[in-house]
Amino acid sequence: MIVARSIGIVGGTALLTIGLFATTATAGEVTELLDRAQQSTYTANRLVVSMWDGDTKVSSEFVEHSSGMEMVRVDSTWSIVGNGRAVVVSDEPQGVAFMTHSAPIETDRYTVGSVTDVTHMRRDCEAVEVMEGDIVRANILVDKRSGAPLITETMTDTGKVFRRSSLQNFKAYRTYAGPMSQDGIEYEVVMPLESDLLPTSVAGYQLVDIFPAPGGAEQGFYGDGLFTFSLFALSRATDVSGFEDATTLVTNTGTYELASTPSDVRIHWTAGGTSYVIVGDLPPDHATDVLAELPAPSAPSVFTRLWEKLFG
Amino acid sequence: MAGMTPDRERISMLLSCYLDGELTPDELSEVVVALESDLDVIAEFRSLKETRSTLRMLPVLNMPLELIPGGHLGEQLSAYLDGELITAEMPVVSTHLDSCPECRRELADLDRSRTAVRALPGVEPPIFLAPKIEEKKTRRGLRTAVALAAGAAAVTLAFAVTPLGDSDHPSAVSITDLESRHIARASTAFVPTALSVNAP
Repeated sequence: MIVARSIGIVGGTALLTIGLFATTATAGEVTELLDRAQQSTYTANRLVVSMWDGDTKVSSEFVEHSSGMEMVRVDSTWSIVGNGRAVVVSDEPQGVAFMTHSAPIETDRYTVGSVTDVTHMRRDCEAVEVMEGDIVRANILVDKRSGAPLITETMTDTGKVFRRSSLQNFKAYRTYAGPMSQDGIEYEVVMPLESDLLPTSVAGYQLVDIFPAPGGAEQGFYGDGLFTFSLFALSRATDVSGFEDATTLVTNTGTYELASTPSDVRIHWTAGGTSYVIVGDLPPDHATDVLAELPAPSAPSVFTRLWEKLFG
Repeated sequence: MAGMTPDRERISMLLSCYLDGELTPDELSEVVVALESDLDVIAEFRSLKETRSTLRMLPVLNMPLELIPGGHLGEQLSAYLDGELITAEMPVVSTHLDSCPECRRELADLDRSRTAVRALPGVEPPIFLAPKIEEKKTRRGLRTAVALAAGAAAVTLAFAVTPLGDSDHPSAVSITDLESRHIARASTAFVPTALSVNAP
């Protein structure tokens, strides 16, 4: 059984806002836009504000971004994310490294809409609309020279901004020395699984790959070309901590526990003998659509309860 | 490059050092100023990055399979997980893993067994055994691999007979841990398949 290692990525690191590091990619301009953003080099203070059902979350952190890697510093703790790895550098640095062999997903869900030249912070920028069909799903202000996303606004299907990320004190091409060498950091290497437990597509998101996860769980990684989420399927008996202060999300399919962060949403529910957790940067309407296509919340059967009572 | 001024040549050299992370703070400032003010420098910077990226994508020379026992990686997997492969072995092992589901499964099993073993409670050995234990610690390799393989087999068996969701021992996971896993996996964006082996 895989034993969970709490590497406790510093909250803000979760900010793979709007999937700018999304695994999936549509063909054409959106891919190019995201690719440039990922490969850009800069340092900045990043402010992220998100709103879910009127609940506002804010984070502010110092980030260094270079060649697909991002370091986020909060006090004396650094977290480093990129190229399939996440590591926390503190007194006892440790991390997780994913080995993936899956090719990026090709979808046509998103296209680039209007592109407008603007000046922001005395820099030449492009304001890019990312369209999902007829609706604007995101507005991204891109620094022309570095490709960095200076401002990213993600919208719901009704056009309301639900997440806004902005880079302040932005310095292109400037990075500082990292906190330390990654030599000696203990990584948990995670290899893909072959499993048919999880659906291959959910509400426009495609299953990219599956990995073993803590608590004997499976992690399905999904993407739609812009956003990503992981669906964890665990034993119902597994205690998932972190939802103590969760709010309730009610949809047509049931009631869920919701604990959002500025950059991600986390949803937890149980269906029969399985406990599910979704973690990702998907917008609220997408989350509702995804939940509608997954097993609905339900109590375990009498037999399951009896089994657990007898055998734990 | 022909036609370049000495200053421009110096910037070109510094750009290369910049990508290697070898600049002094003063040189770094010089590069940053040049990148902010000169479009040609930006173009050269991008070109350099692309060239390096392309070089990394070049196919590696594979070790002939006959030199690998049984055509598979065997105990090299253990060394791979331990970060003990020599530089020349890394691309060979990575490339083989790319194309060999059997070795990937074996590596995953090895990793699971290591994780499971680490989670076991520690037991203090008797004092008189300490010198021998120290001596044995230095002997890694085949015995470790065999032990890990045995552990892997046990863990694999446990997985095989224990369907997901029916764990005999309720466990606990934190949402932070799950989130970190999602973030790590999501960070592999746009890395071509050939480059997406992210082993330590």
